[in-house]
Amino acid sequence: MNQRLRNLPLWKQHLYSLLFSITCMGVATGIALLYYEIVPENSYNIPLIFLLAIIIVSRYTVGYWHGLACCLFSVIWFNYRFTYPYFNLNFTLTGYPITFMVMAAIAVFTCAMTSHLAMQMDVIREREKQLAEVEMEKMRANLLRAVSHDLRTPLTGIIGNSSLILERGDLLTPEEKRTLIAHINEDSNWLLNMVENLLSITRIKGDNFSITTTEEPVEEVIAEALEKIKRRYPDTIVHAKIPEEFILLPMDAILIEQVTINLIGNAIEHSGSRDPIDLIVSATPETVSFTVRDYGVGIPQKKMENLFDGMPVSTSQTSDTHKGMGIGLSICKTIITAHQGTLIGRNHAEGAEFTFTLPRKQQTSERT
Amino acid sequence: MSTKIKILLVEDDRNITNFISTTLEGNDYKVTTALTGREGVSLAASFCPDVILLDLGLPDIDGYEVLRQVRAWSRVPIIIISARTKESEKVTALDLGADDYITKPFGTAELMARIRTSLRHSRPATPDHIYRALNLEINFEKRQVRLSGEDIHLTQIEYQLLTLLAENSGRVLTYGHIMNTIWGPYMDAGNQILRVNMANIRRKIEKNPAQPQYVFTEIGIGYRMLENENV
Repeated sequence: MNQRLRNLPLWKQHLYSLLFSITCMGVATGIALLYYEIVPENSYNIPLIFLLAIIIVSRYTVGYWHGLACCLFSVIWFNYRFTYPYFNLNFTLTGYPITFMVMAAIAVFTCAMTSHLAMQMDVIREREKQLAEVEMEKMRANLLRAVSHDLRTPLTGIIGNSSLILERGDLLTPEEKRTLIAHINEDSNWLLNMVENLLSITRIKGDNFSITTTEEPVEEVIAEALEKIKRRYPDTIVHAKIPEEFILLPMDAILIEQVTINLIGNAIEHSGSRDPIDLIVSATPETVSFTVRDYGVGIPQKKMENLFDGMPVSTSQTSDTHKGMGIGLSICKTIITAHQGTLIGRNHAEGAEFTFTLPRKQQTSERT
Repeated sequence: MSTKIKILLVEDDRNITNFISTTLEGNDYKVTTALTGREGVSLAASFCPDVILLDLGLPDIDGYEVLRQVRAWSRVPIIIISARTKESEKVTALDLGADDYITKPFGTAELMARIRTSLRHSRPATPDHIYRALNLEINFEKRQVRLSGEDIHLTQIEYQLLTLLAENSGRVLTYGHIMNTIWGPYMDAGNQILRVNMANIRRKIEKNPAQPQYVFTEIGIGYRMLENENV
């Protein structure tokens, strides 16, 4: 039974099965008659033709009954038309019960095997679905954990610094005050960035992580992402290289922009280098790839395994401990997965690079 | 009599009104604050502001409603201040007649720039004949576009598109508005033709289409052209 048929209501499935059985039997009869016309003296092969028809019917119909009915029909019809005395039923032929029983057994076995196969397919499909759900649940849990960790740290800074100014403002020198306020400002901006990331996640709908995509020009998305990066990190230089051709790509542009910003932001904050960052877009007929490449310290080996799990970066590697790339990367992964794309991070000779690849044709959003 | 430019701020959060009015007063504007939408509408009539800063999330009536009521009789520039991040909400506000929008949180420099742009566009007394920014120059009378002194050849549509953006430089124009102005109201809903024409313009005037200097994209909303320096 093919998948399309199995999704129909039961009575329709049976109707199709019935029509299919009748057609098969008709075709078998036709072939048998033709064969009988040509070589009338050798009728031993005719049961084989019907046998084949029964196997086909058993394989491609629902339940046992169609196969069994065809079996009964074949035996009687064969007896009536193709054995002596012709056009008469004679159940006293030698070995006749054996023929009937063998044919019936074959029909039953085929039906049983077919339905068993279908059942196994169902089980496998169900298991795959459960696995996907577990995967998403894991993603969500990771995200929540990363959020509570990452949000708390800057908030502590803001509350601490501002209380200090409120309570002991008179005792602080203007420089000291300025430093505290600068920290508050820095922490708030970081929080804002995080909130924007979390907001973007709300664009991914519900349990099946589906998104609404529209065809967007790649260059416009890149341009706006770079514009925002320039605003946040005015001193950083990003070299963008995109194909000359005008590329429309199905995506949620706000989300892809967010991914680009996160990856470039990570490159700026974690590479430990002030060298210009490369953003390279390349296209194949099926996909478009975006690569963010920095020239810094690279990704620490022990982070490689759970790069996208939302765990904070090890504190020894970076000076500001709270600016983990945890949430950022985990959100990137979620977004790219929702786009049916891939995201990989790796080290190249002079630093780290992250590449995400999106399909140019979005497959149907339905996951099977 | 005071000659200060008057700004009406309609916003219900006291922290934010405090910060904005302090900033504006520091920049020599006269500020009046309305904490509710109704108060905002009536102050818009009695106070005669030069610019209105309007928050969309108000306690009594919706920001869109304030926008509608004020637009019914006044062409005063209205800048939307919004915490709403959905593009569709910004587009709705712009299509209802708002001049510009600024998303919370924003820096003071950004706010001041938006106010200046709105003020300039509200005084069409001296029509610009020339748009000039960085190396780009558009002469509206001669229908000439030059980049670093070199003539740029644009198609009819491309020229119309570029001049529409240049005449409104510094403001965001929604896809819908641009489609309507250039292609008329009977064009079908998609804006791909606009996107393709913009891509062609970018290839003619920008060094790197991925890092444009003149025409900026606001994803999901529209385009904004670099402010005219020739004013």
